[in-house]
Amino acid sequence: MAKKIKDNPQNYPWLGRVFLWVDQPGSATKLFGGLAVVCLMLGLADFLYEKHGHFTFENLPAFYGLFGFVAFSCVIFGAKALRELIKRPEDFYAPHVIDTEEYPEDELEKVAHDAD
Amino acid sequence: MLIDQFPPAFTFILAAIVLLAVPQGRARGALSLIVPIVAALQVWNYDTGIYNQVEFFGFTLELMRVDKLSTIFGLIFCLAAFLGNLFAWHVRDSVQQVAALLYAGAAIGAVFAGDLITLFIYWEGTAIASVFLIWARRTEGAYHTGLRYLLIQIGSGVILLAGVVLCYRETGSITFTKMTLGTLATWLIFIAFGIKCAFPLLHNWLQDSYPAATVTGTVILSAFTTKLAVYALARGFPGTELLIYIGAVMTVFPVFFAEIENDLRRVLAYSLNNQLGFMVVGVGIGTEMSLNGTASHAFAHILYKALLFMSVGAVLFRTGTSKASELGGLYRTMPLTTVFCLVGAASISAFPLFSGFVTKSLILDATASNHYTLVWIMLLFASAGVLSHSGIKIPFFTFFAHDSGMRPKEAPFHMLLAMGITAFLCIFIGVYPDPLYALLPYEVEFHPYTVGHVIGQLQLLLFALLAFGVLMRTGIHPPEIRAINLDSDWVYRRMLPKFIGSIAFAVTAFWALQTKFWMHRVDGVIARLYKSHGPEGRIAQVWPTGSMVLWIAILLGATLLVNFV
Amino acid sequence: MSAGSATATLTLAQHLPVLQVVVPLLAAPLCVLLGSRKLVWPLAFIASAITFLIATLLLMKVLDGSVISYHIGGWAPPLGIEYRIDAANAFVLFLVSGISTIVLLYAREYVAAIIPPASQLLFYACFLLCLTGLLGVAATGDAFNTFVFLEISSLSTYVLIAMGAGRDKRALTAAFDYLIMGTIGATFFVIGIGLLYMATGTLNMADLSDRISDMGDNRTVRAAFAFIVVGMGLKVAIYPLHLWLPNAYTHAPSVVTAFLAATATKVAIYVLMRFMFSVFQPGFVFETYTLEFVILPFAILAMFAASIVAVFQTNLKRMLAYSSIAQIGYMLLGISFITKTGLTAAIIHLFNHGITKGALFMAVGAYVLRTGNSFLDRLEGLGKAMPWTSAAFVIGGLSLIGVPGTAGFISKWVLITAAIEKGWWLVAVLIVASSLLAVIYIWKVIEVLYMREVPDGAHHQEVPGSMLVPIWILALSSIYFGFDTSLTMSAANTAADSLLSGF
Repeated sequence: MAKKIKDNPQNYPWLGRVFLWVDQPGSATKLFGGLAVVCLMLGLADFLYEKHGHFTFENLPAFYGLFGFVAFSCVIFGAKALRELIKRPEDFYAPHVIDTEEYPEDELEKVAHDAD
Repeated sequence: MLIDQFPPAFTFILAAIVLLAVPQGRARGALSLIVPIVAALQVWNYDTGIYNQVEFFGFTLELMRVDKLSTIFGLIFCLAAFLGNLFAWHVRDSVQQVAALLYAGAAIGAVFAGDLITLFIYWEGTAIASVFLIWARRTEGAYHTGLRYLLIQIGSGVILLAGVVLCYRETGSITFTKMTLGTLATWLIFIAFGIKCAFPLLHNWLQDSYPAATVTGTVILSAFTTKLAVYALARGFPGTELLIYIGAVMTVFPVFFAEIENDLRRVLAYSLNNQLGFMVVGVGIGTEMSLNGTASHAFAHILYKALLFMSVGAVLFRTGTSKASELGGLYRTMPLTTVFCLVGAASISAFPLFSGFVTKSLILDATASNHYTLVWIMLLFASAGVLSHSGIKIPFFTFFAHDSGMRPKEAPFHMLLAMGITAFLCIFIGVYPDPLYALLPYEVEFHPYTVGHVIGQLQLLLFALLAFGVLMRTGIHPPEIRAINLDSDWVYRRMLPKFIGSIAFAVTAFWALQTKFWMHRVDGVIARLYKSHGPEGRIAQVWPTGSMVLWIAILLGATLLVNFV
Repeated sequence: MSAGSATATLTLAQHLPVLQVVVPLLAAPLCVLLGSRKLVWPLAFIASAITFLIATLLLMKVLDGSVISYHIGGWAPPLGIEYRIDAANAFVLFLVSGISTIVLLYAREYVAAIIPPASQLLFYACFLLCLTGLLGVAATGDAFNTFVFLEISSLSTYVLIAMGAGRDKRALTAAFDYLIMGTIGATFFVIGIGLLYMATGTLNMADLSDRISDMGDNRTVRAAFAFIVVGMGLKVAIYPLHLWLPNAYTHAPSVVTAFLAATATKVAIYVLMRFMFSVFQPGFVFETYTLEFVILPFAILAMFAASIVAVFQTNLKRMLAYSSIAQIGYMLLGISFITKTGLTAAIIHLFNHGITKGALFMAVGAYVLRTGNSFLDRLEGLGKAMPWTSAAFVIGGLSLIGVPGTAGFISKWVLITAAIEKGWWLVAVLIVASSLLAVIYIWKVIEVLYMREVPDGAHHQEVPGSMLVPIWILALSSIYFGFDTSLTMSAANTAADSLLSGF
């Protein structure tokens, strides 16, 4: 694989160059801020229409949003705790496991993007 | 057998044989693309009814039982076979080409099976054909994984057979129709389905084996086996309440495992498990709406799951790894794959305008309208969980996040085409679900795009995304590291072998003594057998005519004696 | 004009039972009279194909359980000779004529290569005579006529076996042994028929059956039964009356072995069944005793002893010959159950084993053609050199073992069902156990064919397509009949019914 040294973004496909924006300094913050604003608006939108869910708690304003936020956080914290419990080195079941094997080369076509 | 009643499964099997006669190259690729199209047309042209009844050992086998439920699964299997084979256009390995066709054929055959014996035969067929997609990787690890996979899949078939035999003894019928849990027979059949459907604690073969298949093999594997099991459950056990709770657990627990898994194809296998949970809940509720939800979700799921496996497969094809810890920043040189992966991620996360949204809502709504409050909350939780691994983790850690320095070439054209078509379908179904709804087993009276639905779903997903942002920025989000995680396979990969090992040691010691004693004797017996039965032995000798005549006399004497006494 | 041709076809259709026998009978001397080595094969083949066609038509007609009674020369039985076709013998006719047609397809290249040119006309003539005899034995409803056709087939068989002398002089002693044995057997048979005639005054089987059941048993009838069973048992190669078989099969030309193994013993078994269940009724105590105390133990003995001998053989052809003796044990076992299922098992195994052994012996013939003999150590590595032949051999071997998905499985399955139905669990276990022996000897061959390296300097080519096609027809049919059992099962069921219902 091509090393970083001679990496020339001008050779990327155009769409790749477009995406480069996300790695520019500050872009992440802009994305995060934009997301926060959209979330706020979505939360407020709940006041604009009449909810008729199957459950009463469903009708609380921004119920789904808060649920989503909490659920996602639970997943992450739960997963972190779980990892402490069940993490093992990659060669735990070795030998004869795919986790430590290289994928056979002849099945692949590892080509660098600027290769002719 | 009329030509228009030729079972589509046979089309696949026949093509698999013909394929071997076609020279390796484009002609073969073309054949394996044409076959699913032909089969799909066959499925499409069948009217509801029972065809191809065959007498077998006094049983009437129904090779083709066509109704709306089997038709929709038949169609999506054909579509999946087409897309999978298109993605595998570059493969020049006869084993994989033939296995893919046989596997698809067996799965489609099982879907149209009208009786349990036909179902069993195709059930084992999928097991045997599919293992070659794993073995085709041709490494020691893949070989051992394949063996484990095969053992469990065949085991499921054997349990199914036991159930079928008992069922026949109890009811005198082998028709594959709705059953009620209660007798041993139905429980066995239920468990057999459950193994293939990856019920909690019976699930680990899925995460064990799918990452071990070849680049293209995993795409094909992801479509058939588990969805066949979902179909079998929908056919055999609709409205079984137990399934609701099994399904709910299935949606929740893989979420945590997926979050900390490093191999992205294994992440997708966990996420597959989680999606199956939604379908199983739909089967368990058993109303028209929920069964519609199961069928449509299976349809949409096969497409977006294939799309995700394709995008990760394309990355593996270009970089040689599918481990999140090794990847990152690939959007620079694989932007199209990135976009397709994002479409798949949005679909599985059920963003509005993507396919997951219009199908999962059916199941969630059915759960809510039947007042399974706890289950509904679990499903909602799982929906947020899906976003965490399939919606964010897969695209983010592969194509964005920190730059791994890899600059692989964009995926080859046929892979892009396969992903493009699949991505298009994901969006098409999301935007315009009516054609899919028309295929469903029952009349659909459901409108996914109401203000409440759309805003609710967007809130759920975007707030979860916001949480991701917060956790990333605070560094709480767990990093990707090279490690594996224990799961229920530990029981048979570690605990049982150790346990058996210690018993074996004791037995071996005893056995060695025994063997010594007996071998001595057996050697003696074989020597004596050889002496009498061997080429030089008395029994094998070419006796002179005289002794033959003597035998005649003896036998005649014996017969006469018996007759007259 | 049209009316006339309609009658003509009608009469032709009516004459099918006798045409079945007459066509090969007339074709046999024509082979010699024609005097052309070019034309003799097409003639023989066409004659055999016609008999196959007739047999198929007959089978279709009687599959519903009906009976065709044909009076030779218009003389009504019991005075005249009657040909009676029901499902049992129609099925045997179907097998015999089918195998002979397929074997003849195979024979063209093989005979051209192995049989001396001067004897080739004679070979085909004898082949057709043998076919005539076998078909006649199966078709006739007259006990003495059975003997006559039995002699026709036996005499031509001796000649056919002796034709192996070109390669292996031991074929002559094998033929001579068989001649002595066969003659003794035939004599016993004819003595039995004579005794029956003495007791009843008739030779027509249906008539015999009526009179015996009217009169009940007496010493003459019992003695007749014993002589017929032992005499025919020799033709069947009931263990231990099998001694002629290994030599005859080993030293005869493979094409003859394939034909005989698939048909001759099967026809003899049919006769045995016909006499046991139709002429004599299983109601007789002496018959039940004979089956239970003589046939059953020897059948089980054959299953094991012959299989064990087969395991130790170093000559493939002889191994398969011993395996045939073991397989005959299965058929006799089915007969000795005296139940409908048992009889069905015997009949279906008769058919399935016929096609399986036909395929195996023809494959061996291909090896003999290329390597000169059939000793196992000469076949090393042939799996690669002769892939098509070897693949067919493996399929045949699997069917012989009784692997699910092959014809052999179906017959073993039915046989085990019959044993369990009778409550004889031990016998069912023995059937499975003896099948394991088949695994051993078939595996030995597969190991030699595929796991060994080709010896240096050996270059063997695949045999020509005209030999592969017939081998594969039988190999594929032994798979086909493992899946689609509608024809074989219904035929065997109806056959068992018609045998048990007497006349």
